[in-house]
Amino acid sequence: MSETLVAAERVSKRFRVGGGVSRRELHALDTVDLDVRRNEILAIVGESGSGKTTLGRSLLGLASPTSGRVLFRGRDVARFGRDERRRFRRALQPVFQNPYSSLDPRWRVERIVREGLDAFSLGTPAERRARVTEVLEAVGLTERHARSRPHELSGGQRQRVAIAAALAPRPELIVADEPVSALDVLVQAQILNLIASLHRDFGLTLVLITHDLDVVAHLADRVAVMYLGRIVESGSAADVLERPAHPYTRALVASSVHTHRTPGAERARLGGEIPSAVDPPRGCHLHLRCPLAMDVCRGVVPALEPRPDGRLVACHAVSAGETGPHTDPTKEEPHADR
Amino acid sequence: MTETALELPRRRSLPRLRGRVGREAGVGLGLLAVLGLLAVLAPVLAPHSPEAIDQHRVLGGLTWAHPFGSDALGRDVLSRVLFAFRASLSISLGAVAIALAVGIPIGVAAGYFGRALDAVLMRPIDLLLAFPALLLALSLIAITGPGQLVTMFAIAAIYLPILARVVRSSTLAVASEAYVEGARARGASHLRTIVQHVVPNAIGPALVQASVLCGFALQIEAALAFIGLGAQPPTPSLGLMLFDGYQVLEQAPWADVFPGLAIAITVVAFNLVGDGLRARLDPRGITR
Amino acid sequence: MTPLLRFRSVSVRFGDVSAVDDVSLELSEGELLGLVGESGCGKTTLALATMGLLPSSATVEGAIDFRGQDLLALSEDERRRLRGDRISMVFQDPAAALDPAFSIGDQVAETIRAHRPVGRREAKARALSLLREVGIADAERRYRDAPHRLSGGMQQRVVIATALANEPSLLIADEPTTALDATIQAQILDLIRDLRRRHGTTVLLIAHDLGVVARLCRRAAVLYAGQLVETAPVERIFEAPAHPYTRALLAALPDRSRPRGALAAAAGQVPDLAAPPPGCRFAPRCPLVRDECVRRPLRTAVSSGHDVACWAAAPAASTAAGEIVAATNGGR
Repeated sequence: MSETLVAAERVSKRFRVGGGVSRRELHALDTVDLDVRRNEILAIVGESGSGKTTLGRSLLGLASPTSGRVLFRGRDVARFGRDERRRFRRALQPVFQNPYSSLDPRWRVERIVREGLDAFSLGTPAERRARVTEVLEAVGLTERHARSRPHELSGGQRQRVAIAAALAPRPELIVADEPVSALDVLVQAQILNLIASLHRDFGLTLVLITHDLDVVAHLADRVAVMYLGRIVESGSAADVLERPAHPYTRALVASSVHTHRTPGAERARLGGEIPSAVDPPRGCHLHLRCPLAMDVCRGVVPALEPRPDGRLVACHAVSAGETGPHTDPTKEEPHADR
Repeated sequence: MTETALELPRRRSLPRLRGRVGREAGVGLGLLAVLGLLAVLAPVLAPHSPEAIDQHRVLGGLTWAHPFGSDALGRDVLSRVLFAFRASLSISLGAVAIALAVGIPIGVAAGYFGRALDAVLMRPIDLLLAFPALLLALSLIAITGPGQLVTMFAIAAIYLPILARVVRSSTLAVASEAYVEGARARGASHLRTIVQHVVPNAIGPALVQASVLCGFALQIEAALAFIGLGAQPPTPSLGLMLFDGYQVLEQAPWADVFPGLAIAITVVAFNLVGDGLRARLDPRGITR
Repeated sequence: MTPLLRFRSVSVRFGDVSAVDDVSLELSEGELLGLVGESGCGKTTLALATMGLLPSSATVEGAIDFRGQDLLALSEDERRRLRGDRISMVFQDPAAALDPAFSIGDQVAETIRAHRPVGRREAKARALSLLREVGIADAERRYRDAPHRLSGGMQQRVVIATALANEPSLLIADEPTTALDATIQAQILDLIRDLRRRHGTTVLLIAHDLGVVARLCRRAAVLYAGQLVETAPVERIFEAPAHPYTRALLAALPDRSRPRGALAAAAGQVPDLAAPPPGCRFAPRCPLVRDECVRRPLRTAVSSGHDVACWAAAPAASTAAGEIVAATNGGR
């Protein structure tokens, strides 16, 4: 079993909404447990309001949990002194979604990529410049690109710059939030290939936050599915996507507009809308829309339970074996990890 | 390496100001440059001393020696306009500079850090903003007595809250951009992030506003001087000239027209520059 | 039978940018056609041209026949009368399409009254039934809701209701689900399919996602950099894509079966439309490029209902063209 690099332990994050004295809270994350293992590609999947971006930011240390803790190599991030915090920051780097707002429009590419090295004071100025050239080459950009400003580059090129900037300080883990959603199909493929080769060549650990199940199927080793601030299912990407167990995962896979369809897709559909994260439903968040909802679902929050095939699923129906007309794929033998 | 040659960056230069706006801004800038030069070189350019009284030329009309005519005391209007313009302009620019120097840090801090600091900083600003401008100015003058210096601070007090709010609002927008978070993730301290990322990107609207406010500041300075609460004679001021000239409007209109024209042209110049700045700053980095 | 909508050699320019280059395409009555392409390929421009919503800086050539009548030749007034009545459009961002100051019910009713001599009460009744039809639960109560109280999916349903209020013959849907979540996307696409079946509306669906088109449409037309490269029934597009660009699109889709890092990503980038390459605009990136590609490929049929504009895909025509090019370049 691989070493756990960073982990979320019962992390909750709530935001106050409405100005001034309003008491309403947005429950972005609700007691989330997640561990990220060295060298893996972990995908976090969900629709809007699922909390996946907030989880990513929490892992990066950019959003402190309202309760619970984030652990880096087993130690609580909140207790870090200045030096440890710096090491932590340096080891985990982000790549953001929007290639148009993730780069300072006034800076040249060279400076953007160098920022981490400057801020962390890594090496001499000459060494930093050399490192910049090195990572730019690794992502397929040249000197000409280095001298340009973001608005002179295309979306795909900008995303490469963002990746290069994340690579420069030699991180151990990169959290990429929807790295290809804003890109066209052909450019997407280029960037996905790039990400895959960098993972391989630099021995990186990757957390991929996305809503695109095809990207998950293609790249990820493990996947965690989120709904309204909670993880509802996690396990090997192959298992979860090809034989989804949780009703929400089934619906998500069924809605995937890719032509491959799982059998019984029609019956897996969810009616209704995604509830607001400001006043989430009690008990299991999905119970108002779930075809398998039982009485207990209304009052008791299901916990992530380990299943025979090694997955974690948070669903009363699945735990009780009451999956109705659907077969429960978690009862099979565990599949070998990729 | 995963692929073959990537396209070279397209040299999309920053959108040049096209057409009407470009010409306007150019005119404005040119005008300001000329006016600025006039203000700076006033002592050199003035053909006569602004104080030189000449009884023979009382209310004299436009001549070669006195291209702008003479006022009620026979003083050369052109020279007086030059010196008064120099004084009034300095006060106006000084006022806006103070407003910027104080307003920008307040606005940036409030917008960037938010929550408690935002509330603490912005309540006094809102208080200042709630005062009618004139009342604010008069209150200050009532405390210290009239004068040019207090005029400058009064104007600064009037515009400080406006600029602080503008800066705060654009800071809010910039602070939520991904590159700011990226900077923090790459180890930049708050100070570094603010100085290197937030301020350069957020300051645009404030500068646009400030350039237009310079014109208004000039008018307020003149107005206060006109009603006797600003610059006191012998300190030169366009407002004082307007007052003096008003007395002899029928006999010697030039004593009023030229100082008034000086104000008007300057205000127009600042407005043109403001428009040009706005057009130049808006499309920046918002391509696509 | 006359096709409902027919683009005849339509070209659109914005200054020196050639956004659409000589596109000819037909839609039959009651059809569900998907217009696919990446950003900048001209698909939205074509839709806006049909609706008459292009900015004044656009110059349009060719003809867009709606029931045999050239839309481009009509006066602005006549086009306005068609909009929302005979031809409707649904856009990507539902929140932007709804006026935040009015209730959703009123907006649907207003669309009806703008085109039909109907009293207020009757318009309201019709609006109510439309809201129910598009799946707004508890429609009576929600009739008075302001748009911002609804989720993205609900808002898009309302937009669809206003689009269908006057039973248009043609509905143009420009990326109607791109801004929505996956589970909601599926709902909206199914809604469009059901409504089409019930009302017999012809639907032109614009998308960048081939999967969306596959889910909803029978036929698909692929655009690249303003040029139409392939038209075929949807299954053929997936099973036997003829144009190299279509093949590249399909090969680039991430898939569990494809090994990591080995997605077939076509090299290069979309050309600059202000200075596009001559002839086939995909040529600079095409693995099958040949000499004759500097001349615009003719549309040839690969099989029934399956057209492609590519010299490499249609060898016979290609040889002839090759000879012509060689002849004209004789003095090379």
